[in-house]
Amino acid sequence: MSSSNPSDSSAPSGAAVLATAPALRLDGIRKVYGTGENAIVAVDHASLTVGGGEIVALLGPSGSGKTTLLSIAGGLLAATEGTVVVGGEDISGHSPRELTEFRRSKVGFVFQSVNLVPFLTAEENLLVVSELAGARGAARKQARTRAKELLAELGLSHRAGNLPAQLSGGERQRVAIGRALFNSPALVLFDEPTSALDTKIGEQVMELIQAEMRSRGTASVIVTHDTRMTHYADRTVRIVDGVLGLADAAGDVSGDH
Amino acid sequence: MFLALSEMRRAKVRFGLLAGAVGLLVFLILFQQALLTGLVNQFIGALKNQSADVLVFNAQARKNLEGSIILPDQAAAIAAVEGVDVAAPLGEGTFTVLAGGEETDAVIFGYELGGPGAPTTLIEGRLPEVGGEAVASSRNAADGFDIGDTVTVVPNPGGTATTFTVVGLAREINYSVSPTLFTDFAGFETARRAVNPDATQVLPSVMAVRVVAGADPAEVADAITAAVEGTEGLTRQQAVDESPGVASVRQSFSVILLLFYLVVPLVTGLFFLIVTFQKAGALTLLRAIGSPAGPLVRSLLIQVVAVVLSGAVLATGLFWLASLGGGGGLGITVEPMPVITTTLVVLVLALLTSFAAVRRVLRIDPIAATTGAGVQV
Repeated sequence: MSSSNPSDSSAPSGAAVLATAPALRLDGIRKVYGTGENAIVAVDHASLTVGGGEIVALLGPSGSGKTTLLSIAGGLLAATEGTVVVGGEDISGHSPRELTEFRRSKVGFVFQSVNLVPFLTAEENLLVVSELAGARGAARKQARTRAKELLAELGLSHRAGNLPAQLSGGERQRVAIGRALFNSPALVLFDEPTSALDTKIGEQVMELIQAEMRSRGTASVIVTHDTRMTHYADRTVRIVDGVLGLADAAGDVSGDH
Repeated sequence: MFLALSEMRRAKVRFGLLAGAVGLLVFLILFQQALLTGLVNQFIGALKNQSADVLVFNAQARKNLEGSIILPDQAAAIAAVEGVDVAAPLGEGTFTVLAGGEETDAVIFGYELGGPGAPTTLIEGRLPEVGGEAVASSRNAADGFDIGDTVTVVPNPGGTATTFTVVGLAREINYSVSPTLFTDFAGFETARRAVNPDATQVLPSVMAVRVVAGADPAEVADAITAAVEGTEGLTRQQAVDESPGVASVRQSFSVILLLFYLVVPLVTGLFFLIVTFQKAGALTLLRAIGSPAGPLVRSLLIQVVAVVLSGAVLATGLFWLASLGGGGGLGITVEPMPVITTTLVVLVLALLTSFAAVRRVLRIDPIAATTGAGVQV
C-alpha cells in the first residue's frame, strides 16, 4: 500500500506505526562529494522518519541518491550534515569502529548483488554474524539454534548445508534476509532486493520481506527503482537528485524535503 | 578461525596445491641444507669432530692439512705459548689400505692418546687405548671398517705392512670423502714409514692444542700465530670454515638457499594477495555487515600459518623419505633443529610477504557493498 496523500516525508502514515518509537530518524541529511566547484550533492537536506515496524519504499531512478541515503541510514557512510538516529541511537558522531559495531548489532542489510559469502553454507552465512561478534560456548549454541529456526521459517531447512552457488537467486535472497534478521535488528535496509530476480521471484521475495517484517514488527527501508514493488510498503518516499519527497501511487513527488 | 577454516575446507584443492608447492620448496631448502652439511662433514668432518680447541698449521700450507707440517722447534714453541694447556702432534695422510678384502684409499689421523685431537663423536665401541687400535668413520663400517675389522696399510716396496684393528666407530669423522681412521701418533708414523721406508722423520701435520680452562681459543690461536714464526693458529671452527674449498661450497649453497628462502614467501604472499582480490566481494560484505578488519586479517594470517605448517609437514615427510636413501651416500639425516628453524624462518617470511594481502583487507571500504560493482581495494 502506498501512501496517497502524505504531506511530510518525515511522518509515518499509519496510526499504529506512529504509536511506536521511530526505528529510524534522518534529520537534515546532506551528503556532498568533493569540494568547491567540483562538489556534487548526492543527498540534499533529507529528513525521514520510519516508525517501528513500518515498511518504507524509497523510490528513485538510478543516481538519485537513494542508495547513498540508505548507506547513511545504515552507518556505512557518514553524512556531511545532519542527524541519524537508529533505534534510539544517534550514530551521527560515531567513529568508524562504533559504526562497525552498530552495523553488526543494530541494523540488518540486504544488498543488491553480493549478499552471501560464497565459501560459507546457507547456515554459516547466518552464523557469521554471531561469529563476528565473537560468540563462544552457549552463545554459539544459541546462535546455531536461531540459525536453524530462521532457515526453517524461511523454508530453507533443506538448504542449510548448501553453498550459495548451489542455491537459486530467490533462495539466496531468502538466506540474505535471514542473515539480516539474525540479530533481531530494529531496522533492516534493503538495497534493490529484487533487481537481480525475475518478476515472479521478485514478487515472492517482496511478499516474504513484507511477511517477515510484519511478523517481527521490524522496520525496514526498501530502496527500489521499480514502482511495481512499492505496494508491498506501508509508505513510499521518492528521491530525485538527492531531494526527498513523498510520492503518490504513480510515484510523482508531492512534497519537498 | 571460523572463516579461515571454513574457506580452507571448501577450497581444499586450492589451498592443498599451495601447501604442496610450499612443501616442495621447503623440502628443497631442507635437502640443500642437509646436503651442504653432509658435504662439509664428508670433506672435513674429521676436523670438526675432534677434541682440539686450536689447530696450528704451517703458515705456508694456507690452512690445508695435506700441505702442512710442523717442525720440532715450532712444536716446542707452540707448547710454550701462554694459554696453551697441551700441544700434541696430529698427523694426517691418505693411504692405500686393505679393508674388507679390498684395496681402497683411507685417511689416517694420528693423535697422542689421551691428548687433544681425539674423535668426539664416538657412537659405538671405544677410543684406541694402545698402539694398533683405531676408531673408524661409522659411515664406512660396512666397507670393512666395522668394529673388530682389521685395516692394513698397503706398503710400498721396502716398507712393512701395518695393521689397525677397529675398536670404535665415530659419526661424521670423514676427511676428503674417504674412510677415515683415528689412531695413535705412533701408528700414524708406522703407516708413513710403510709407504715411505726412507723417511728419516715423520712430522705432524698440525699441532692439536687444548687451551687452559677459561681461555678463549681464538685469543690463544692468535697468540700462537704471533709468537711462533711460520705457523697459523686456528680455532676448530675456523679450521672448518676456512678450509680450502669449504668456504666456496658454502657460498654457492648460500646463494641457492637464499633464493629458495625468497621464493617460498613470495609464492605464499602472491597467492594470498590473489585470493584476497578474488574474495574481495565477500570481504566487503563482511565489513558491511559489521565485521571489524581484525578478524578478517586474523583469518588471513591463520591461513598463511596453516599453509606453511602443512607445507613444512609435507616437506619433513619428503625429507625423511629422501634420508632413507642416504642422499647419494652423503649421509643426509633428519634432525629436528634444522627442520624447526627452517619452518620458523619460512613462516616469518611468509607472514611478512602476506602484508600486501593484509593491507588490501585493511583498505576495504564497506560502502563498496552497495555498489554491486565489486570492491574498491
